[in-house]
Amino acid sequence: MNNAKNQRDSDIQKKIDYEIRMREGACKLLAACSQRDQALEASKSLLTCNSRIMAYMSELQRMKEAQVMQRVARRSSDAGPMDDRSPCKGKVAISDLRIPLMWKDTEYFKNKGELHRCAVFCLLQLGGEIFDTDMVMVDRTLTDICFDNTIVFNEASPGFELRLELYSCCSEDDYSAGSTPRKLASKLSSSLGRSSGKKLRAALEPGACSPVSNGGAAPLLLPVPPVPGPKYHLLAHTTLTLSHVQDSFRTHDLTITGNEECSYWLPLYGSACCRLAAQPHCMTQQMMSGCLRVKLGGDPQGWTNVYAILKGTNLFCYRRQEDIEANVEPLLTIGINKETRIRAAERDPHSKAQSICISNQYGGEEVTHTLATDCREDTQRWMEAFWQQFFDMSQWKQCCDELMKIDQPSPRKPALITAKQGSLYHEMVIDTSDDIGTVTDILARRIEELELRAQLDAPPHWMSLFEAEAPGSPQNHRNHHHRTARHSPHTPSPRLHSRQPRSPSGLLSSDASLTSDSDSPCSTSPRSHHAWPRDLPPTSGRFRPRTLSLDAKLSTLKAQRGYGGFQCSCQSPSAGSVAPRPSQTALSCSSSTSSNSSSEGSNSPETDLAFSRPSGARRSLRNLRAKLDPRNWLQSQV
Amino acid sequence: MSFIPGQPVTAVVQRIEILKLREGDNLILGFSIGGGIDQDPAQNPFSEDKTDKGIYVTRVSKGGPADVAGLMMGDKIMQVNGWDMTMVTHDQARKRLTKKSEDVVRLLVTRKSLQDAVRQSMMPR
Repeated sequence: MNNAKNQRDSDIQKKIDYEIRMREGACKLLAACSQRDQALEASKSLLTCNSRIMAYMSELQRMKEAQVMQRVARRSSDAGPMDDRSPCKGKVAISDLRIPLMWKDTEYFKNKGELHRCAVFCLLQLGGEIFDTDMVMVDRTLTDICFDNTIVFNEASPGFELRLELYSCCSEDDYSAGSTPRKLASKLSSSLGRSSGKKLRAALEPGACSPVSNGGAAPLLLPVPPVPGPKYHLLAHTTLTLSHVQDSFRTHDLTITGNEECSYWLPLYGSACCRLAAQPHCMTQQMMSGCLRVKLGGDPQGWTNVYAILKGTNLFCYRRQEDIEANVEPLLTIGINKETRIRAAERDPHSKAQSICISNQYGGEEVTHTLATDCREDTQRWMEAFWQQFFDMSQWKQCCDELMKIDQPSPRKPALITAKQGSLYHEMVIDTSDDIGTVTDILARRIEELELRAQLDAPPHWMSLFEAEAPGSPQNHRNHHHRTARHSPHTPSPRLHSRQPRSPSGLLSSDASLTSDSDSPCSTSPRSHHAWPRDLPPTSGRFRPRTLSLDAKLSTLKAQRGYGGFQCSCQSPSAGSVAPRPSQTALSCSSSTSSNSSSEGSNSPETDLAFSRPSGARRSLRNLRAKLDPRNWLQSQV
Repeated sequence: MSFIPGQPVTAVVQRIEILKLREGDNLILGFSIGGGIDQDPAQNPFSEDKTDKGIYVTRVSKGGPADVAGLMMGDKIMQVNGWDMTMVTHDQARKRLTKKSEDVVRLLVTRKSLQDAVRQSMMPR
């Protein structure tokens, strides 16, 4: 027992050390960073680390107290064999947290002046676990503060208290250097609640807590070396318990600290909505399993051997143990819920085993199943398991009616914030609703530039091949006709014509293909039988997955460039990601094509090789889809 | 280039006249637009004020009618043939530009460089 205690001690100690290191890191980052966002994030981590440290310290304190109490209890030999049943633990998850705001209408509509912005985040604490949500910037254009994170606490007892705290920090603050640690200390300790704060202060008296590596100052005290930077203040808090657990959204009241005078003030409506779900382990894990004999209906003397599993509100009886993995349906499922009555009965006076009778009410009828085990100990164990199950159900109450779904939080995606600020889109010069055309445009431009550059050197000797074969303009016209004949809507011929004077004769056909939005294989038909085996039949009307068409296009381009002797390597893209050497623009086109999934609406997979003005029906479908997706920033070509 | 609701909008504009090019059945202008009051203004890479829901030019095809006329990427279109474009949905904007009955569109566009140039020239030495 001592070992376990010591183990737990050292665990907590390790956690504290880890958090202290994190805190030091956060302080350093805060001191070093120049951007406001980074500073806010660092400050948030700092606050979280601090809270965690305090939680661990108070837990240490509690453990020590418990140890002392136990020793006392043992000495007084007061503790009889108590019916010391403790309920099983469970998972508690809180998700879709939303806090409505209540701006004055004048505030909401005024457009003058700077947006008063606050950075907010939530700190959630249950037992010894503390998690923070992502930071959200709030200004008067927002009606609710939404936190998308799902936070799962793993070891919660039914009597849990989930404390939710909303911290905010005004975003225009001058980072006031040197606000004293004492102020922050009192703020943080008061934010933990008076009693725990007192406990902590007591715990932090020298000597009361285990030695912690710290740079010297009074035992671990409050965290802050005066670090300049944004400081978060507690704006509101609430505590959620088992009674708030439900499989759907509920609104809870918030207690708001702070008033209008504070810089970090936000007009909260006064409530918070969230989904608080709990999965007690008795519902998700196998609480007991073993072999039993069950009397099936019909045959009064017949006993069938089954392998039974007690899980959730059911006792599953499988024919064999292997059936469980094989996902075979159980032979028999007996419901075990609050209304079930279980009793042990003597079956045979001379057999050692007892039988267990489980009675349920189905409809108006009472159905009884009788189970038997091989020996008394087994019976005892099963009865014990049943009692424990009942106890758990009584403790976890509504959570045991049905299993609530908890989605595991996905690994953190890179912050969407940066995208919104335009950094990703700044690079994206391409119009995503017109993908092939634009991609080829960009590539074409690149290629052209390279071409021109290369033209300064002597053209490769084989160019004469084409010069001989393709006498200047007529060839192009033929191309052009090819194209217009095949594909109804326009191909930007002005581009074609305007390009002509610029490019040398030998490379005419490459222009022809590159400038068109249409089937590249088709448009380079005069050349293609030299250049490239026609790997794609001209199917302007046929649906083709987008990446494939891009592939085709780019491989043709590559072929042409290959003929042109250019070194730029545009390998056939895999999964639509392009890596031509040239430039940022080309790279960004890869980001746009591969961001297909995210900005889907405006570039539907129905894009074909051909035409920038697709046929009516397809276009309207695409437009509709694009319009209906609010995440996209539509771009239309006119 | 942000506005105050209810107040007239003032901006330094340039007139651009684009002659549409006939391509078979279609009249094209050779540029792409983005934005609109039904779009998310935060995703607009060209706007200075990220709450600006105006119509911006996101791409100009090289050598196309718009390019020839002097339209530049990043321009905000204020008017098309006299119709206002500062408070329209994306689709309305597109429709106003692509009327089949019109061969020419006269745009009033504004861009930051214009504003800056004017401001520079107005600054006291």
